[in-house]
Amino acid sequence: MTSSKTIVLRSSDGATFEVDEAVALHSLMIKHRIETGGADSTTIDVPEVTGNTLSKVIEYCKKHVEAPNSDDLKSFDTDFVKVDQAVLCHLAKASYYMNIKGLLDLSSKTIADMFKGKTVEQIRETFHIKNDFTPEEEEELRKENSWNLFV
Amino acid sequence: MEWDSSNSDLSGDEEGDFLLNDGGPLPFPVDSLLQPAPCGFVVSDALEPDHPIIYVNSVFEIITGYRAEEVLGRNCRFLQCRGPYAKRRHPLVDSTVVTEIRRCLEDGIEFKGELLNFTKDGTPLMNRLRMTPIYGDDEVITHIIGIQFFTEVHLDLGPLPGSTTHGTVKSSDPFRSSLLSFRLTPDGTRSPSRGLCRILQLSDEVICLQILSRLTPRDIASVGSVCRRFYEVVKNEDLWRMVCRNAWGSETTRVLQTVPGAKRLGWGRLARELTTLEAAEWRKVTVGGAVEPSRCNFSACAVGNRVVLFGGEGVNMQPMNDTFVLDLNSSKPEWQHVKVGSPPPGRWGHTLSCVNGSNLVVFGGCGTQGLLNDVFLLDLDAKHPMWREISGLAPPLPRSWHSSCTLDGTKLIVSGGCADSGVLLSDTFLLDLSMEKPIWREIPVTWTPPSRLGHTLSVYGGRKILMFGGLAKSGPLRFRSSDVFTMDLSEDEPCWRSVTGSRMPGAGNPGGIGPPPRLDHVAVSLPGGRILVFGGSVAGLHSASQLYILDPTEEKPTWRILNVPGRPPRFAWGHSTCVVGGTRAIVLGGQTGEEWMLSELHELSLASSVI
Repeated sequence: MTSSKTIVLRSSDGATFEVDEAVALHSLMIKHRIETGGADSTTIDVPEVTGNTLSKVIEYCKKHVEAPNSDDLKSFDTDFVKVDQAVLCHLAKASYYMNIKGLLDLSSKTIADMFKGKTVEQIRETFHIKNDFTPEEEEELRKENSWNLFV
Repeated sequence: MEWDSSNSDLSGDEEGDFLLNDGGPLPFPVDSLLQPAPCGFVVSDALEPDHPIIYVNSVFEIITGYRAEEVLGRNCRFLQCRGPYAKRRHPLVDSTVVTEIRRCLEDGIEFKGELLNFTKDGTPLMNRLRMTPIYGDDEVITHIIGIQFFTEVHLDLGPLPGSTTHGTVKSSDPFRSSLLSFRLTPDGTRSPSRGLCRILQLSDEVICLQILSRLTPRDIASVGSVCRRFYEVVKNEDLWRMVCRNAWGSETTRVLQTVPGAKRLGWGRLARELTTLEAAEWRKVTVGGAVEPSRCNFSACAVGNRVVLFGGEGVNMQPMNDTFVLDLNSSKPEWQHVKVGSPPPGRWGHTLSCVNGSNLVVFGGCGTQGLLNDVFLLDLDAKHPMWREISGLAPPLPRSWHSSCTLDGTKLIVSGGCADSGVLLSDTFLLDLSMEKPIWREIPVTWTPPSRLGHTLSVYGGRKILMFGGLAKSGPLRFRSSDVFTMDLSEDEPCWRSVTGSRMPGAGNPGGIGPPPRLDHVAVSLPGGRILVFGGSVAGLHSASQLYILDPTEEKPTWRILNVPGRPPRFAWGHSTCVVGGTRAIVLGGQTGEEWMLSELHELSLASSVI
């Protein structure tokens, strides 16, 4: 029985997570760090990601590395992104930084779906975005961006 | 004092709804106590031993991770223990503060201070706490109100005792996950609409390349009006190029890239014009050269910006076999006869389609010896263009006036038409021309629409085809049709479906007022899946040049009329119209008397051309 090497990942707020190396390598950024790293490549700092987000990222990697062909992978992914918008944004940011394509695609697609078919006001409402245009600018935009779909 | 403690649904109430005394609101302004941020709000019963909690608000639940039913009846000090199983106050909790709280309570005065607390999963929080005693009628304290403003605190405490040996914090609990949205980071940007704005904290690359690129052109237009940041982000041409490619497919965008002037127009503007069709107009184009001897019933097809014409029926009804090219990219376009070796047998009523980039494929038609089912291929970009026969095994029945289209840029699809003795056909065949030795394959279906000739086949949405109109069999008779059928060739067992959008019960037609029934008309596939129909042979007084548009991808597909400035041609025929560069439908002459005018073309341009 081969011994599986473990890696410790440390988040921005100091939380540490011990994971199998195979799971950690799912992040191409960590893979690169390990491959180009020096002697002490057992603890990797992930300063752009908080502990809460990192734990979720690890959960994703674990599932995708340990059971990549399982039938419930699709439903795992679907349930994985049934989270708050803030978590979703954190996941997108973290997976981009950590170079985990599958998770980046999953979180980005979920966020993209939240835009679809919405009016300008609805988009602001959904994402809590402040309207920082002046009334004159808004009037200009209304003319510019209202695509009068003839069909 | 009447407080109904049997009220079970306390946790959902807002602070302002909390009632005391005889049902009136709290006897002091709650708002002044609250911070301009989400606060925990706890009420304890001061008359009961050890001051049990009788109410917590939802912010408390979400931030601490403890649900109301877990904490009601307990004293609030459990927050000083780390995790639900700890029995003792955590050593890092400042005991002098705890003593201070006790003193204030005993003296009946307000406490203000900071205390270390812990969430249910052991995360440390700093609790800026304000505890206020509430006095009843006889100067006795009846309740204690606790208002908590929680902030993150960075402490490395190690794993929570009792968690797994690898120390991974499980956060698959959706309730726990929603907790994270209420974490107050030091620079949490605030917005009037309740929540924190997270999406603008993402980088431009993530917003553009990963998120917005998946949206349709219309949605991007809305996004650009949301705020200044998005307005700037959406100006990116690369974003529009990706949006167009994702929305219309790489084949369509590749073709659009070859359109002269399209690049100057920019992908953003192109996306808009091809979606709204606001710049569509009819124009007349005069070209030089000549297609001689003159003919009708030829077939034309576009390769990029070049129009290719093959065959046709001459003045003495003889089938022709010559090839002509018109290069619309040139400053002075003119018809040129292409000298080819070994042309196919002459024919009319055949189909000419573009495959594999710059190749043209001829199928079927009526020749001197009768109906044909042969296949010939020509590479227009070859040094010495030559027609060569493709002998595909098990070809379809010989036929004329069938319809064809190209799938994936490599597969020829033919359907229906008129066979020997005038029998109408309803089959659908596919020939994969990307293979070394192409083999004809019939697409097996359990049901086909009524057999017909002179109909159109259009490709949309990647691998779907749409059949419209034609002269269709109805018992012993034939009628012009305006039916629409679609088939999804990406399915394992493709089948024909009626396009239903009409609101009439049991209707098998698209909604709206459809085009009058016709055959030999023109059907153009627009980017995004819509089909544009015009021309053909229409019964009665209807104008054949009226444009109709249908989006088969809509939930309830509905025909709409497209009104376009400029003068349309009086006649337009399917086999003599082709789409150039994805944005222009070129109609080769209309019929004036017996002659087909090929020096004056009509062009329906869909997007502005920037010269």
